Amino acid sequence: MTKTYQPNEPIWCAGCGHYGVRNALLAAFRQMQVESHQAMVLAGIGCAGTLQNNVSAYGYHALHGRVLPAATGAKLANPRLDVIAVGGDGDGYAIGCGHLIHSFKRNPGVVYILMNNGTYGLTKGQHSPTADAEETDEQAFDGVQLGLSIPGSGFIARGSSASPVQLQALMVAAMEHTRAGKGFAFLEVLSPCVTYNDTYPAWAGRMVNVDALAEYDCGDRIGAFTAVNSLLVENRFATGLIFKQDGKSPERRRLDSGQAPLCDLDISPDRQLSGFREIMAGYGV
Amino acid sequence: MTANALTDLNVMVAGQGGDGSLTVISVLAELLARRGYHLYMSRNVASRIKGGHAEATMRGSLLQRGCLGDHIDLLVAFEQEAVDMAATRMAAESIIIFDASDGALCRDALAPNVRVVEIPFGRFAVRDLRRDLFKNSLSFGVLSHILSIDEGEATNCLHHIFRRLPQDAIAANTKALNRGRQYASELYAQQDRWTLADAERSEQLLISGNEAIAFGFLLAGGRFFAGYPITPATEVLESLQKHSVRFEAVAIQAEDELAAANMALGAAMTGVRSMTATSGPGFALMQETISHAGSAEIPLVVVNCQRAGPSTGMPTKPEQSDIDMMVFGANGDFPRVVLAPGEPRDCFELSVQATNLAQQLQCPVILALDQAVGQNSSTIEPFDLDAVQLQPGKRLDASELRNMSEYRRYQVTADGVSPWAVPGTPGGESLVTGNERNEWGQVSSNPQNRRTMVDKRQRKLDSNLQLLPRGKSWGDADASIGLLGIGMQQGVIEEAQQRLTAAGLRIKCLQPRTIWPVIDETLDFIRSSKRVYVIEHNQAGQLARLLLAAGASKACIGSIRKYDGEPFSPGELCSEIQQAEADRQGESGQ
Repeated sequence: MTKTYQPNEPIWCAGCGHYGVRNALLAAFRQMQVESHQAMVLAGIGCAGTLQNNVSAYGYHALHGRVLPAATGAKLANPRLDVIAVGGDGDGYAIGCGHLIHSFKRNPGVVYILMNNGTYGLTKGQHSPTADAEETDEQAFDGVQLGLSIPGSGFIARGSSASPVQLQALMVAAMEHTRAGKGFAFLEVLSPCVTYNDTYPAWAGRMVNVDALAEYDCGDRIGAFTAVNSLLVENRFATGLIFKQDGKSPERRRLDSGQAPLCDLDISPDRQLSGFREIMAGYGV
Repeated sequence: MTANALTDLNVMVAGQGGDGSLTVISVLAELLARRGYHLYMSRNVASRIKGGHAEATMRGSLLQRGCLGDHIDLLVAFEQEAVDMAATRMAAESIIIFDASDGALCRDALAPNVRVVEIPFGRFAVRDLRRDLFKNSLSFGVLSHILSIDEGEATNCLHHIFRRLPQDAIAANTKALNRGRQYASELYAQQDRWTLADAERSEQLLISGNEAIAFGFLLAGGRFFAGYPITPATEVLESLQKHSVRFEAVAIQAEDELAAANMALGAAMTGVRSMTATSGPGFALMQETISHAGSAEIPLVVVNCQRAGPSTGMPTKPEQSDIDMMVFGANGDFPRVVLAPGEPRDCFELSVQATNLAQQLQCPVILALDQAVGQNSSTIEPFDLDAVQLQPGKRLDASELRNMSEYRRYQVTADGVSPWAVPGTPGGESLVTGNERNEWGQVSSNPQNRRTMVDKRQRKLDSNLQLLPRGKSWGDADASIGLLGIGMQQGVIEEAQQRLTAAGLRIKCLQPRTIWPVIDETLDFIRSSKRVYVIEHNQAGQLARLLLAAGASKACIGSIRKYDGEPFSPGELCSEIQQAEADRQGESGQ
């Protein structure tokens, strides 16, 4: 066996929600029998953006806010990989929010785990887009609400680092969704920053687990949107598998049309010389 | 060949955007190509979809030329403004074919020896054929008469260009052509007609630099492209979208330049050869990604088809004012290569080399085009496809990895390039990061590691200089005066040099194709000259400044610059050089 890097211990503070996220991810990998060389974990910038250092996989540390385009490129190029993008709320909802919108729309087979703690922890406690309105004079942003509003979004869930069993189940469901070629799976995790924004107590009473509601239908976009918004008005938020709809990812469409994964193509020019000659002839005068 | 046949003809068709100027030029291009002329085509449009002044200019010449000529010999003008704008560029004894639908031409701005043929094309087209658009074929009819082309040949060319149109459209255009010929024969004296040469027709491509970049990338194994539309680079995206299916490639339109560049990075990490293309404003947005590719050692090709800046600048006009940004932009020290092609063949070759180099050096490779190189089309000999070879770089496959006791993604090596495995390869698990890190990819700010890693990355360039493309040099190798320019200057310099040589000036020329790093070839050219004129399209003299910083002697460098959005004409450049030489002699005489 070739020796390669050993995962580091996390840099997070004791009690950080992100430990729960990492543990759930490792458990989900075990449950899904993910081989370390088949997983690519791409991370943004910030405390959440160090998670890739703490798992055995192909890890990549992206630029701030750009984890989703990088993950999209990787998945389109090698659809066999389990591509997991991770990052914080600053990374995904502030600097990278444009890519989040377009990832819902483009629907690549990427699992996106966004660790929401309502603060910029690594830069020591500035407000993030999801910070409470009372502290910032700005209304808090809600990524689930955003996702539901975009036609084509197909997997929207919210977990909590305080509920590890459900979190693992949601990660497994997200990976199954992407592996089945259904597309982008968005999982926000409420993952408190115990140092700058310890929301464990405040969030505990506000979460409503839709998985436990018998009448809740996660296949109903309008119902989900109504439920999520009604809860927000009451200053509460939904957790669990909030919305799921089967779409088709671009990499799956490619494979279905008989095209090979990009990474498997024989690119030697002499294999396709006739094709190249034909294109060149098109420029002939 | 016919006696007194035209050896060099510059034709402009100008009007409002949407008038169809490009159609007339296309039919004329077909005609000239059949007669064995080389072609160089340029368009000049306002940055809007329809309307605004738009012109298409074509040079047909028996010698291969890389730029437009000094003057316009033949102008087809659909409006007064087109004539006014071109007036100072009209050659002596040139001809203007004017659409007089809105009244007679006011020729105040024209020299007396310019001949004008006034025909109300638009009005006739509507009257006879019920559509204004047929004025294009009508005007080609007039052109074909003036150029002494018989009906059969003119019709053949028209049909070839319109071959994909429905039969009734072709019939209507043919009718328009014949009307045009008829009007011209009534209005234009038989004895004043011009004659085209009838040279041997060779196999030629008519292709733009942007199209050649896209084609070269595919040939070099490029299979992932992401871009965001921007003038004047969009044709790279469009060409690749057109051809991608056939090669099972992906050419994706991203939501912005940040997404485009980072998608390309993501694909590149999996080992798929990847590219993005943009122009100045988009390239500015990509700076962080380029620095990241340099740090994380990810192979990425970035095309910057430069337009006139700063900021939004003049989107449809050429400039070479991003040299500083391409060479020095982005945060931190990291290795990069900047290559500058001068014409479509160069674009093809350097696109292949850039794609290979990115793999070999695991760093960003930038292709520096300008609007003229990217969007102008010219005829060239077909590419030698058999000569294209792929350089895989230090890629490790699963079996090689199995035989290694350990794998470090950023292993320190003699030439700085680390062997790498791509995701999906067992045993190659690694951490790829823009953070400073140790050989395993683990974040580190240890001072000694830092030095080692910065040096390792720089060594990739320093120890692989032999891989970088050489420039093109021509002229009198022993001359003491040198002309040096990149991109769109190449064709102009070539023609200026020929004229200056004919006038008795001994001159040598260099078109460097690797502009960063500045390679010995470039400096040797300067060192072996008494004077080198650096010709470039920007106000600051960015290329000259780059060469001075690299060690060129200040006394030796003369800087010739332009930044009005219009390329140098050969005559203009000749005058600049002659003036500079006269000034020098004046100074030394005092």
